[in-house]
Amino acid sequence: MSERRPRLLDPHFISKLTRLDLTARLVVEGFLTGLHRSPYHGFSVEFAEHRQYMPGDPLRHLDWRVLAKSDRKFIKQYEEETNLRSMLLVDTSASMGYGSHGVTKLDYARQLAAALAYLMLRQNDAVGMFAFATGRAELIPPRSTLGHARPLLLLLERLTPGGTTDFASSLHSLAERMTRRGLVILISDLLDDPERIAQAIHHFRHRKHEVLVFHVLDPQEVAFDFEREAVYVDLETGERVTTRPQELRTDYRARVNSWRDQIRQFCIEKRAEYVPLTTDQPYDRALLEYLSKRARLL
Amino acid sequence: MPIFSFLNSGFLAALPLASIPVIIHLLSRRRLPEVPFPTTQFLRQLEPREIRRLRLREILLLILRTLAILLLVLAFARPSITPRNAVTTAAAAMAVIVDDSESMAGLDEQAKPRMEGAIERARALVAAARPGDELTLISATRPIGAATEHTSDRVRLGRSLAATEVTMLPADMAGALLAARRTLERSRLKDRELYIISDLQRSNFDAKARAELGPIAAAKIRVYLVPVVSSRVPNHALADLDPVLRPGPMGRGLELRARIANYADAPSDRIAIRVRHGDALVGGGDVTLKSDESRWAAMPLDWRGAGSDSAQSSGAVLIEADQDALAADDRWFAVLGAPGRLRVLRVTEPREGAAPTRFSSLALDPGKDGRSGFVVDEVSPAGLLGLTKSRYDVVLIEDVASLSTEGEARVRAFLRDGGGLVVALGPHSDPGYYGSRLFPGIIDLGLDGAEQAAAGGSYELRARLPGHDVLNGLNVAVGAPLTESRLTGVMKSRTLTTRPEVVVQTTGGLPLVATSPGVAVFLSSLSDDWGDLPYSGAFVPLVRGLVSYAAQADAQGPGATRVGEAPAARLTSPPGAAVIVRGPESYSSQASVRAEGTAYRAEADAPAVQPGFYDFESGGRSIATVAVNVSPIESDLAVIPADTLKAASGSGSSTLGSVNALESHLRDTRRGRELWMTFLLLAAAALAGELLLGSARTLRA
Repeated sequence: MSERRPRLLDPHFISKLTRLDLTARLVVEGFLTGLHRSPYHGFSVEFAEHRQYMPGDPLRHLDWRVLAKSDRKFIKQYEEETNLRSMLLVDTSASMGYGSHGVTKLDYARQLAAALAYLMLRQNDAVGMFAFATGRAELIPPRSTLGHARPLLLLLERLTPGGTTDFASSLHSLAERMTRRGLVILISDLLDDPERIAQAIHHFRHRKHEVLVFHVLDPQEVAFDFEREAVYVDLETGERVTTRPQELRTDYRARVNSWRDQIRQFCIEKRAEYVPLTTDQPYDRALLEYLSKRARLL
Repeated sequence: MPIFSFLNSGFLAALPLASIPVIIHLLSRRRLPEVPFPTTQFLRQLEPREIRRLRLREILLLILRTLAILLLVLAFARPSITPRNAVTTAAAAMAVIVDDSESMAGLDEQAKPRMEGAIERARALVAAARPGDELTLISATRPIGAATEHTSDRVRLGRSLAATEVTMLPADMAGALLAARRTLERSRLKDRELYIISDLQRSNFDAKARAELGPIAAAKIRVYLVPVVSSRVPNHALADLDPVLRPGPMGRGLELRARIANYADAPSDRIAIRVRHGDALVGGGDVTLKSDESRWAAMPLDWRGAGSDSAQSSGAVLIEADQDALAADDRWFAVLGAPGRLRVLRVTEPREGAAPTRFSSLALDPGKDGRSGFVVDEVSPAGLLGLTKSRYDVVLIEDVASLSTEGEARVRAFLRDGGGLVVALGPHSDPGYYGSRLFPGIIDLGLDGAEQAAAGGSYELRARLPGHDVLNGLNVAVGAPLTESRLTGVMKSRTLTTRPEVVVQTTGGLPLVATSPGVAVFLSSLSDDWGDLPYSGAFVPLVRGLVSYAAQADAQGPGATRVGEAPAARLTSPPGAAVIVRGPESYSSQASVRAEGTAYRAEADAPAVQPGFYDFESGGRSIATVAVNVSPIESDLAVIPADTLKAASGSGSSTLGSVNALESHLRDTRRGRELWMTFLLLAAAALAGELLLGSARTLRA
């Protein structure tokens, strides 16, 4: 069991599986199996099923009526009922197509989005999706039916990297269109002007949305662990820079960390959750962050 | 103008190798891989600060690598520069003065024999001689006789060098320089060089020697000083011996006085001095000297160890001091005569019917027994007719108005025979007679009459030459008063030439004691006519000093003959047969004999070459023994500053301070100055710089 869980949550392993619906389920099930207590079986007003009383169960959930009728002890379980509307925002810019160890940032974002969608639909939350880059954007409005998973996954499978990251035009228009307040989950490498990102988040927050930012970066983007001198070509702008990594590594890392700190800072200021991720990290951290956020919202 | 050339120019074909780093650089730039990257914005931000620095360093590394290869190739091509004074194209005439004087027997700063260093340098010169070059070796002690002819025959020159050894002679540097100039001027070759291999003793390069450097420079001869030492090596030396044996302290026994000098910039250690007669130690003492101090040291003698009663009368003694840098001057050979009692004839005349005062007689021989070392006979001027050298050593003429013609002639004959003269003037002396009659030919002193001090005034006696033998026994400094006594009158005088020495003078600079060899003049009164001098403590040593100094007119005292001079002996009777002189190291020479006054003088035909005792034999019988010693001029091992010699020779001299410098100079001037080592070092420096720059980068990474 302990061996299965990491394997199912390992991005590298998941990336080798082709069916996104299957992989999303694997991720979520694997994740949930590892939790000590089911997070989405609440005790709401909507009855779900009975189960045999086990010593230690709270007596207030004992079905007294059944006990009186049949002299058997059953515990009442309830289906949690929410009205959370979530929107998954997936960055599909060209920079998201970078992957230094077989998993591109877009692969990672796609899988994370699929797992989150699956998890949300399992909880009867309404899920929508918005894939964006400069000059191209696709939107699937939120719905809570399990059947809604299919169009979501189909969209995710279609996504290819291209264009530049453009928070200004894409996200502002989306914020205008989202009338009901809900949870906005942004999965992006945020390679745009931090000011413009901040304005976009501010816009969502202004519209009373909760915002969860998954900042996805490749490990090489953070560590810049290249060995030899090379011409580095910008995936979005095509700009070329010739340099020796060993000379710049320390300063580069300092700058990237400073940039991430800057984003974290304005997320804190805008009261948005900021989760830095690298594509070699398991998905469970992202899922846990989501569940934690959801718990705070409900 | 210096000419730059390459001795292995074939290697220059490899110069294009210097482009290898550039080619590698360009190739590696062209083959840089392209790496797609999400964003280059962070790299761009760093570029202005870091990338530019990196590029600069890259260019520097490229330059250093290219330079290293370039310099390496050039080094292999043996670059060479021909200096201004090169003799690469034509043969050169070279004169090499090899200093073989006594001081070269000493040790250099590394305790290596100086002569060894000199020969090594001379051999380097001989080895550098090329066919067509003319080379002459000149001895500094015998510049004429020992010079080789112009030759480029290395074998002959080598043989000549092998035969070169230290002599006990002083250097005749002036003669050597003259011989070198004449030799080089005779040469038809245009390039002429003079090498002086020497310890460059200051005492060897006197004014005469320095004056010889000017004509050498004028003859366009390049002078190279090749010193074998660079600094003064401390040395003490026995410099003289008092020919008179003196009574010891309290009149007991005898003592011998030797002058010992410390030629050093620091005080000496305690120097032990021993007096030997044969194998027996007969006396000794010790002395500690200040820097550059020369002092008489008295050594008590005890003849009992000599085992012979006749030892005192035929005492051939060897005085030895502790050995130091120069061993030859730590020994002094002397043949002592009978115990010294200076026989003084005091000439005075009565004054106005009264007997003359006897202050000077009492000062010389207070007990009238000769135990003080002086025996005094007193006579009137008429008594001068009995004056002979055989009877007296010194005549003291004291406050005599004038001498008769016969008396004056007798005095002059006495002086010629080696006797000494002391003249003490006084109120009765006729300055006209002394100034114009007696002194001419004896001492160059003019007299201007007596001068009395102003009322209440007086004259002080101030030492002008404190180390002078007249002042022996008086411990005074220059300008210090000899005594608190004062003189009320002096005989005004002036020196007519530079030969007389004014030893004592008044405060105002009037001479009081003037000397010339064998003659001492006291220009005031030795009685109490002109002051209270006879009552002062300085009177006795002063009178004895005057007489002792005059007695040394017989300058051929024990050991006065120097190496290089012919040994000579005074014989009281004519030898019955031919005289043969035998000396150390198989020295043997015939001697010629001639009459000298009432005695005879035998002089060897050949000069002495070693210090030691030289026996004069006639008919198989020893008739005299003389001692020969080294010249004290070689004892001061102070080096003359090269600048002094350069100034004397104009700017035409260079100093080659070591064998390496000499060899390098010869290499440069004969074949041009090779610069491959310089280029190699520069290449190494460039590589080191490259490594340093590269390692800095690696460390940072």
